[in-house]
Amino acid sequence: MSTTSSIKTWQLVLPLAIIALVVVFYHGLYGNPSYIPPVIVNTPAPEIIAPELYEGKEMRLSDYKGKVVVLNFWASWCRECALEHSSLLEINQRYEKDPRFVMIGVNYQDKENLAKEYLEKHGNNFQHVRDFAGKVSIDYGIYGVPETFVIDKEGMIRHKSIGPIIGETYTNLVEKVIDPLLKGEPLKGENG
Amino acid sequence: MKMGKRFFLIALILLSISFNFSLLFSATPLSEDEIQVKVRAISKTLRCAVCQSESVWESNAELALQMRNIVRERVIAGESGDEIRAYFISRYGDFIVLKPRVRGINQVIWFGPFILLGVAAFLIYRKISTWIAQATPIQPSEIAPIDDAGRDRIAEALKSYNAGEK
Repeated sequence: MSTTSSIKTWQLVLPLAIIALVVVFYHGLYGNPSYIPPVIVNTPAPEIIAPELYEGKEMRLSDYKGKVVVLNFWASWCRECALEHSSLLEINQRYEKDPRFVMIGVNYQDKENLAKEYLEKHGNNFQHVRDFAGKVSIDYGIYGVPETFVIDKEGMIRHKSIGPIIGETYTNLVEKVIDPLLKGEPLKGENG
Repeated sequence: MKMGKRFFLIALILLSISFNFSLLFSATPLSEDEIQVKVRAISKTLRCAVCQSESVWESNAELALQMRNIVRERVIAGESGDEIRAYFISRYGDFIVLKPRVRGINQVIWFGPFILLGVAAFLIYRKISTWIAQATPIQPSEIAPIDDAGRDRIAEALKSYNAGEK
């Protein structure tokens, strides 16, 4: 190989390597560090066997097979949960007459009396279960609250939303996730 | 033939006894110390999902405590470290293990530096080889034989040199 062609190789490889490094560093430094791709979406929803918040009777997620289930993880100490609570009430109000729909709240790392006080303060129109030892939360790969899952009629997790269901997230959840799933349509784009 | 049958029967009974013993031995519950050692070892390989670079064993966060309890339950149930890690990975993804697995895109992290090192070494080797090739003096055998015109030129030069010396 001649000197000229060697220089050409260096001239090509070095800038490419530097650009690749810059892209990697940029992605690492300026990307969203809290974004972790959800691995649980499009997998079967883990079974939930947990006591109901008010009556204490055992609830099983499998009892709702054949329905679209919206599963919301929340806590009384969570400010963002309070922020999204009215949206959750609206969603349940919108679909509560549809026998193919059910909404379940999972109370996360909380005290029973505080959870009940929270619901009295913010209002409530759907059922809630308690997650005592964090088994339900860990089964669903929860990092923090609020997190919301939508499970289809076949019991598959089809959507995961991290953060409060407000604004665009609310519209997206209703129009692009719950409505299509109730109609039996496949989800499109990021929601699928 | 009878002896053969008897021998076969005895061998079968002995095998069955040893198998049952091995089952009995494997079913022996772990001691508290053994459980603790296993829980510690496995928890140290799992990342606390809500902390900054802390393992589930080191963290005092509520979630880490709950994860440790799940590890403990699964150790008692007889699951191996790999099975327990696989459970957490199925829920949280590869992020949950402190040491990335050697598969998929993770292979870039494991082998990338060595590949880059290899490419760099190859390029340096080539560059140095070029430099050495340029610096090596030309051997007499590599010089083209002198032609008549050249020979005449040398003779002329020698003649004028000798004339000058005189």
